[in-house]
Amino acid sequence: MLFTLAFRNILRNRRRSAMTRMAIAVGTIALLVFGAFQGYLFDSFHTNVVQRSGHLTVYRTGYFLFGEGNPSAYGIERYKKVLALIGDDPVLRPLIYVLTPTLSLMGIAGNFSGENDAAKTFIADAVIPSDRDRMRRWNAFGAGRVYPPDTNLDDNDPMRGFVGLGLARILGLCRSLAIANCPPPPAIHREAPGVASEDFSNLRAEVAAAVTPNAAGKPRLDLLAATETGAPNVVSFFVNDAEPQPIRELDDNYVVMHLTLGQQLIYGRGEPRVTGIVLQLRRSSDIGPARNRLQALFDQHGLELEVRDFAELNPFYTQTLNFFRSIFLFIAAIMGVIVLFTVVNTMTMTIMERTNEIGTTRAMGVRRGGIRRQFLVEGCMLGVIGASIGLVIAFLVAIGVNQAGLTWVPPANISAIPLRLSLLAQPALIVGTWVGLILVATLAALIPANRAARLQIVDALRHV
Amino acid sequence: MAKEPLVRLDRVRKVYSVGAVEVVALRGISLEIPAQRFSMVVGPSGSGKTTLLNLVGCIDVPSSGMVEVCGQDIAALHDDAVSEFRARNISFVFQGFNLIPVLTAYENVEYPLLLSRMRAGERRQRTLAMLEAVGLANQQRQRPNELSGGQKQRVAVARALVKEPQLVLADEPTANLDSHTGASIIELMRRMQQDLRTSFIFSTHDPQLISHAEEIFTIRDGELVEHSSRNGF
Amino acid sequence: MFFRSGLLPALVIGFSAAAYGQTAQEIIAGTDRVRNPGQPFHSIDILTEYVSGRPKAQSHLAVYSKEDPSTRQFRNLIVYIEPPRDAGKMVLLDGHYFWFYDPASKASVRISPQQRLIGQASVADVLIVNLAVDYRGTLVGTEAIQDADRREHQCWHLDMKAADDRASYNRVEYWIEKGTFYPIKGKFYSDSGRLLKILYYKAFQDRLGGVRPTVGIIIDAVDSALVSTINFLEARFQDIPDAWFQRDYLPRLKAE
Repeated sequence: MLFTLAFRNILRNRRRSAMTRMAIAVGTIALLVFGAFQGYLFDSFHTNVVQRSGHLTVYRTGYFLFGEGNPSAYGIERYKKVLALIGDDPVLRPLIYVLTPTLSLMGIAGNFSGENDAAKTFIADAVIPSDRDRMRRWNAFGAGRVYPPDTNLDDNDPMRGFVGLGLARILGLCRSLAIANCPPPPAIHREAPGVASEDFSNLRAEVAAAVTPNAAGKPRLDLLAATETGAPNVVSFFVNDAEPQPIRELDDNYVVMHLTLGQQLIYGRGEPRVTGIVLQLRRSSDIGPARNRLQALFDQHGLELEVRDFAELNPFYTQTLNFFRSIFLFIAAIMGVIVLFTVVNTMTMTIMERTNEIGTTRAMGVRRGGIRRQFLVEGCMLGVIGASIGLVIAFLVAIGVNQAGLTWVPPANISAIPLRLSLLAQPALIVGTWVGLILVATLAALIPANRAARLQIVDALRHV
Repeated sequence: MAKEPLVRLDRVRKVYSVGAVEVVALRGISLEIPAQRFSMVVGPSGSGKTTLLNLVGCIDVPSSGMVEVCGQDIAALHDDAVSEFRARNISFVFQGFNLIPVLTAYENVEYPLLLSRMRAGERRQRTLAMLEAVGLANQQRQRPNELSGGQKQRVAVARALVKEPQLVLADEPTANLDSHTGASIIELMRRMQQDLRTSFIFSTHDPQLISHAEEIFTIRDGELVEHSSRNGF
Repeated sequence: MFFRSGLLPALVIGFSAAAYGQTAQEIIAGTDRVRNPGQPFHSIDILTEYVSGRPKAQSHLAVYSKEDPSTRQFRNLIVYIEPPRDAGKMVLLDGHYFWFYDPASKASVRISPQQRLIGQASVADVLIVNLAVDYRGTLVGTEAIQDADRREHQCWHLDMKAADDRASYNRVEYWIEKGTFYPIKGKFYSDSGRLLKILYYKAFQDRLGGVRPTVGIIIDAVDSALVSTINFLEARFQDIPDAWFQRDYLPRLKAE
């Protein structure tokens, strides 16, 4: 009877209760759609980051905090043994999708061929090309881009690689790489006054002859770096292409090369090492157990190695996620307040109109608690109906958007990815929003309901 | 019939504050109302009739003095217990019918039974019987806004009696009805009283109703001026 | 071939060993004696950098050199005299460490190996190579090579490898004129085997108690347009306190 009464009373003032239900529905839709968008965003962002940097990276202790200034000083000794230790471990092996060593390094890149005389500092990742390709196929959420194999790197061609577009431009590689919209660097001539020119051509001839020509028409760079022991070293590097990088600082400095070339450059006559060992797991949920196991292995074998996860290595990731979460909470708060006020308003008006009825009911013997319960149920029911309507509409919106095949370019990205709303994949969001708004509606009814319960019967009956 | 009186008032005072002004509605009134009678409270407007009925109906409390209904001192009970008491023993019939607009005639009549722990089958039986008794069995699915004034009051009477209370209080029950309808309502209530031995207390101006009175209490300016009894009809 | 007349003065210079079969060590010791006067000295040098033959920059430097007898490493304090914007700046070359001192900020900062890859510091790296201490090698044979002025010399050809991790160049080839022990040409190789720099010495003159090279030409083998020359203008023996080669002492030195 309670529910019958509540339901029929809701329908009593059609327009007012429709407005209230619409307000609740809109709140529900807003939260669900934004939550779905956020959920999809998290998935695709997560996928993107994991594709590029894996889940966990093993470093020598101290690298994470201090290594950026001098990466080669933090090389992992006997890294192949460490790789074997990790790869053969019975606990870790089933969890791992890709296990690969990488080397971070920096130096000076020079384009000294022909008329060019350009030099630029660079930072580089030296990788195993096939492992890098395999990592970019990770797609556990089905939310990531699918990358074609990268032809700029080749397991069998250690001298081949690619650079950032800005770096290519600064080094004057535009023409040789056939890049569009790429002006050549201006020629800057400094002259020392009062000093005569000299002809060193005969001496330089010996050097000029020794320069390796470009292979397959691809331009060649000289990469200079100080080895781990401080000696100057230089290797030839063939630039297969320039790829634009999403962040400008990277675009102007970035080189990607084969691990072997990097090791040659940095470790020269010494033992070749790597600065990091990257693990990409099959499932992101395994990060915790994998990390613990790695640390246990290292402790057990007395290795001075530490493990960092991709969130630590990409603070932008965590920042972005937190940013969106706080927006969601903000929207939730606003919607909650709107629903609260709407329901309070509606219930107050309805109680005022039914004052006489309340008096009658109380006279018949209904207790104060019964009156309160009656109106709480009405508030709750408003919430249930409104939230359910909102739920259905949100689902329709999600289906519609997903079918429409929209795309967008996320920040710190170059190319567009599909825009989807992942609503069904987030049961917690659906239940939480639905229940949450119903709770708000019920709570909102509480104050008017209390007031109704505390009415004096005779005063209520006097009301028309 | 040396029975316990249904209602006993002992020096009951009721004072209202209307803004800054204090209004004395009842000035130390004392009376006894016998059970199973048609009792009427008469007097001019503002004499305190309604206040008296409110106190007897346990929907108000006296400023001082004792109100005893069905042998129970109302002041001794806390609010929920009073509600419970009313639910079991007292019913009201209002001048404005006061039916719940979203409920059908059947549901309105059934309502008081939901406050007791009655099985659905018995509830149904009683409700239908009461509707029959007031001649509205065919209108049971209609809502109050589909009924005439007389029909509405009959539903109200059915509602009041369905739980077979000790006492029915009616404040000007015929005021909104034409004389013909009013007469049929009065007839209905008399019949119910005879069948169920219910006590009725009315507050009224209606001479037709007064003519049926077995007890008349005349109130003026918050005091009992006269009490006359008529033995049985 | 060791009995050519030009060799006798070299024998007189200091070798007690038989003229037959010079070892690489002995040749190195001989050429070191041509380059280094054996006592602390002060010289004025001009360092000129050319790009494709055109002069890009020129610096006048005052150099104070002293050998540390215990480590046999040379310590050089370089004070910039010209151009005016660099005047007063100092560079301390202490064995394998380079320190740069700026009188304006009174701060000295170590020049890291990364910063010595190109520029004046890379030239200095070549000039201070200490074959005797940091390299071990063999005498490949005798060859006739042309010097910077295209004149032919008969030279011992030495092929040296870094003795330890601290040597800047993985491998050094040196051509030293037979008999005179004059250093004629040097080639410096990186760990990857690529040629980094070529060094020519010429204009041998009487200086500080011996005949020494007064001009060095350094050709960059990676950026082949770059050539640097260093002219040793004047030099004299000077007692240089050890304190001058302490990094902390630099602020107290005044440019002379």
